[in-house]
Amino acid sequence: MKDLLRLLALSRSRWLWMSLGILLALVTVIANISLLSISGWFLASMAVAGIAGISMNYFTPAAIIRFLAILRTAGRYGERLVTHDATLRLLSDLRVWFYRRLEPLAPAQLQNYHSGDLLSRIQADIDTLDNFYLRLLLPSVVALIGIPLVVIIIALYDHTIAGLTLAALLLVGVAIPLQLANRTRKKGKQLITESAALRTALIDGVQGMRELIIYDATERHSDHCLSLSQSYTDLQRQINRASSSSQALTLLVINICVWISLWLLIPQVASTARPPVELAMLILLVMASFETVLQMPLAFEQLSTTLTAARRLFSIIDTKPRRKEPGKSSPALQRCDLHLDNISFDYRDNDYPDNDPQTCTPNKNGVLNRFNLTIGQGEKIAILGPSGAGKTSITHLLLGFWQPQQGSISIGGYNIDDFYSEDLRRHFSVVSQHSYLFANTIRHNLLLGNPQADQAMLDHACRVAGLDTFISTLPDGYDTWLGETGRGLSGGQSRRIAIAQAIIKQAPVLILDEPTEGLDPITEAKVTEALLEAMKERTVILITHRLTMLEAMDNIAIIENGSVVEIGNHQQLNKTSKRYQNLLSYF
Amino acid sequence: MTDNADTVNSADNLQNKRWLKAQKSLAGSTLSQSVAMGAIAGILLIGQAALMAWIVDKVMFSDWSLKQCQPYLLTMLALILSRSLFSRFSERLAFEGAARIKISLRDQLLRRLYQLGPCYINNERSAEISNCLHNGIDALEAYYARYLPAVAFSSLIPLAILVVVFPLDWKSGLIFLVTAPLIPFFMILIGSQAEQLNQQRWRALARMGNHFLDLIQGLTQLKLYNASRREIDTVAQVADQYRHSTLSVLKVAFLSSLALEFLATISIALIAVIIGFRLYWGEMNFGMGLMVLLLAPEFYQPFRNLGTQYHARMEGISAAEKMLEILNANVPDQPSASDTDKASNSNILHQVQSISLENVHYSYSPDRPAIQGININITSPGLYALVGESGAGKTTLVEMLLGFISPQKGHIKINQQPLQQLGVHLWRQQLAWIPQSPQLFSGSIIDNIRLGNTAADLDSVKRAAEKAGASTFIDAFPDGYNTQIGEQGTGLSGGQRQRIALARAFLRKSTVLILDEPTSHLDPESEHLIQQSLKLYAQEHIVIVVAQRLHTVRMAERIFMMSSGLLLESGNHQQLLAKNGHYARLIAGKRPE
Repeated sequence: MKDLLRLLALSRSRWLWMSLGILLALVTVIANISLLSISGWFLASMAVAGIAGISMNYFTPAAIIRFLAILRTAGRYGERLVTHDATLRLLSDLRVWFYRRLEPLAPAQLQNYHSGDLLSRIQADIDTLDNFYLRLLLPSVVALIGIPLVVIIIALYDHTIAGLTLAALLLVGVAIPLQLANRTRKKGKQLITESAALRTALIDGVQGMRELIIYDATERHSDHCLSLSQSYTDLQRQINRASSSSQALTLLVINICVWISLWLLIPQVASTARPPVELAMLILLVMASFETVLQMPLAFEQLSTTLTAARRLFSIIDTKPRRKEPGKSSPALQRCDLHLDNISFDYRDNDYPDNDPQTCTPNKNGVLNRFNLTIGQGEKIAILGPSGAGKTSITHLLLGFWQPQQGSISIGGYNIDDFYSEDLRRHFSVVSQHSYLFANTIRHNLLLGNPQADQAMLDHACRVAGLDTFISTLPDGYDTWLGETGRGLSGGQSRRIAIAQAIIKQAPVLILDEPTEGLDPITEAKVTEALLEAMKERTVILITHRLTMLEAMDNIAIIENGSVVEIGNHQQLNKTSKRYQNLLSYF
Repeated sequence: MTDNADTVNSADNLQNKRWLKAQKSLAGSTLSQSVAMGAIAGILLIGQAALMAWIVDKVMFSDWSLKQCQPYLLTMLALILSRSLFSRFSERLAFEGAARIKISLRDQLLRRLYQLGPCYINNERSAEISNCLHNGIDALEAYYARYLPAVAFSSLIPLAILVVVFPLDWKSGLIFLVTAPLIPFFMILIGSQAEQLNQQRWRALARMGNHFLDLIQGLTQLKLYNASRREIDTVAQVADQYRHSTLSVLKVAFLSSLALEFLATISIALIAVIIGFRLYWGEMNFGMGLMVLLLAPEFYQPFRNLGTQYHARMEGISAAEKMLEILNANVPDQPSASDTDKASNSNILHQVQSISLENVHYSYSPDRPAIQGININITSPGLYALVGESGAGKTTLVEMLLGFISPQKGHIKINQQPLQQLGVHLWRQQLAWIPQSPQLFSGSIIDNIRLGNTAADLDSVKRAAEKAGASTFIDAFPDGYNTQIGEQGTGLSGGQRQRIALARAFLRKSTVLILDEPTSHLDPESEHLIQQSLKLYAQEHIVIVVAQRLHTVRMAERIFMMSSGLLLESGNHQQLLAKNGHYARLIAGKRPE
């Protein structure tokens, strides 16, 4: 309930459009109910008048019938337009709201959501919330106003039938859907697990096809998938049975309600206590009254998915950003030397609202243990070590994305905690194999860190990054669209864009995290060249195991198990360090 | 041009539709039974309406008492009850039919994929294909269980109502008859356009969603460049822009449902008014009039249902496209031996003594050969290393050794016999393979190790794990060998996964092991253990390694140096260094000297 109210509060700003949509929906429903019952009354009156040979004013009811038909049709059209407009407005509100709240949490407090899958789930959750108004709120309000309205109208004629109809409406609109929801809740959860198991088996089976074929296991894996597919379908069948039973029950309740009304009305008409004309009208009114609750089963179906989605989003949103922004303005720096002093750090995190034991397993990788390192102004240092030794953790700490459990980091003599996050990051440019390119123009991507950069700056950066010839071959040049809908880039090209991005930002410290990983040797050589050019006049932290770049560094720190075990330049280490030689013995 | 594309497209669609229809046979008779049950429920509905109209008529105009009505009321109750039973059975049978089709198709498709082999799925498409097997197949449920019955009902039930109404009141019958074809007509006319518009609208929504997803995924990058706050405005802007364009599209798209709604509602109003006047003039009996009025909404209901199930059709057809693509793909010629040869072949292949490649060629596209004129002869156990930069043809060569592609020119011979004759199946029984990032299947560690040798007992599994240097960390898990590993083997480091794959290969006891060394650094402990166990295994088996480490090539019996699809040099480390050729240059470029 609290979550529902919170959702309602979120959509507060659009109440006018939303109410208008609800009003139109109500008009449509009422027009239809009136259309049927007035038609019944009209038919009966005309028949009675015809037999009795009395004249009657048939123009007004005939006109009303036609008017109601048009009102219903137009009302439905208007309702659709207004409700969809309201939904789209809500949708953009929700996304902005969500993004605003998400932004301070990235990336440390989103590490549990880091895989693309989980991020798409967030996306899907917001899509689910779009249904909140259209499928959940709207039908509920229509039922809430519509039910008393029709029951009162019926009560003007007969209290018993009004009571009966009210009971049937509540059964169809609330009790039966609620009972279905209760019956299928557990199965629904099971279905998600079974579905995930089947998906995993299918992904395993497709991705691991080579292994399965070579180890002669395709037959076995197919059988395994078949049995998973069968048990998954079994569960779907159980849910389908429950819902088809409840549909049949709904139909039964509506018809029996009409039937009992008929049973109750016949003696009244036979005893002339009630004019015969009202019989046809009341029967049709009772039949049509169920239109007010027609959408409710769907609303109940949506309720749990909407709430689950909302809770998941709220749980992310309610996370407090861990980095505390300082109370006073950030210090101005004269120099950019870096000191990491006695740092201990690991990625263990226990303050997640939905603490999923599967994703929260303490990560032994990337742990730092009493780590000390000093990087002078303009110094170029390489950090070398096996994967998981803690290399990337260092950059995460420098950028303020994570906080060490122990020790302190300073830049230019000031503790990094004294800086506002954005002011701190202003001093760093990062190029890594994970650099992300946005589905936008090349220009947009290049200007990311410095939207004010002029064309000359852009040209210069692209020349240094070795992008100039490539861009000049593109018909749209800098305005070429990248990403899914646009042009695909090769690994080397996207890495070069990341390098140009870093140059354009003009930050004093350049962090290169395995910048040539995953590139073929020829491209690698060219990218390396571009990087060496970009490094000039900057403080550089390079994480790599490529020889060509190591030779150009002032110092190389070898880390193992989270602390520096050796430090020296290439010539020294190459002569004296067995570790160094081992780490380099790759093709 | 566009016309042309459209006809091609619709021809494809036609093929998809035909295929989808043909799959109905997989459900046996359940789907037709479901339609029959639904049709009976429809006829019961007509009976129920007639009975009710008749009772009301008798009460109103013949002054019947409740007692006189009772038998008819009870009959009506019986109709109500049996209708609800029949419609429930109809639903269940429809699900059953769809379920049978889904299970059978999913199974067929997966088995078909295994026949097609890994070359059909390049790695980028694997997500798409597994999605087709999961969600794609699930999308067919709505097609078979809801859309197809809706099609049947939209012709059966209105027809039945027409048959009843026409003799009673031909004018109302005429209104039904005239408006009925107009509805499908409008649905097709506006519907096909609305469908396009609707799809545009969904695409627009999807694009907006993607934009947002793009931002979330790139959030770290945005923060690195202090651009994340700037993007808040773009989110709002993009959303608003899409709202405007979408709404103008929606106005048109909703016209189709407006037309449907209009026809149905106006017809009911028209019928009510016409019948009213006929009753007034005494041309008609009230009971019949009421019955026609009661049936009027029911006449249009199946068409509306069809309208709401229309998207199930679109989804079904688009899902079918990928399935058909898989089913229609050509199975590559797999060299497979006839049964009579199999016995003798398995004798020949009992133990692999030699592997030779004779003048082997392969190219993926005609103008760019991947490998050409490769001659390699391996006649004794030992460690053999393939070396060269990426794109040199190592991967193609491995694919060929694994039997996933066959040489376009030249031969691969095992124990002097061409692989074509021996059959790739028998050859693979002698093979074990470890890729750069081995696939671990969700399940227990022991099942993963036993992948290629399900009969192995725990002792031999443990021995294999020990040889692979995996036993220490497996024993450290609380559940030991029964530890469950999740999707992608979460919780295991790259080095640990390599060692499990190595144990898997050792347990297979195959005579030939092919290994793709990972390019990234493993932890020093794993590096060391893997190297030691490979060395040991190579004493009695043929081990072919696509080498990334200097240690490995130093240990190798023979090194094959490849570049641009050619085998340039072969020999051991010392010999090749002495040659001072390509290999020596490769080593010099990478090694600290």
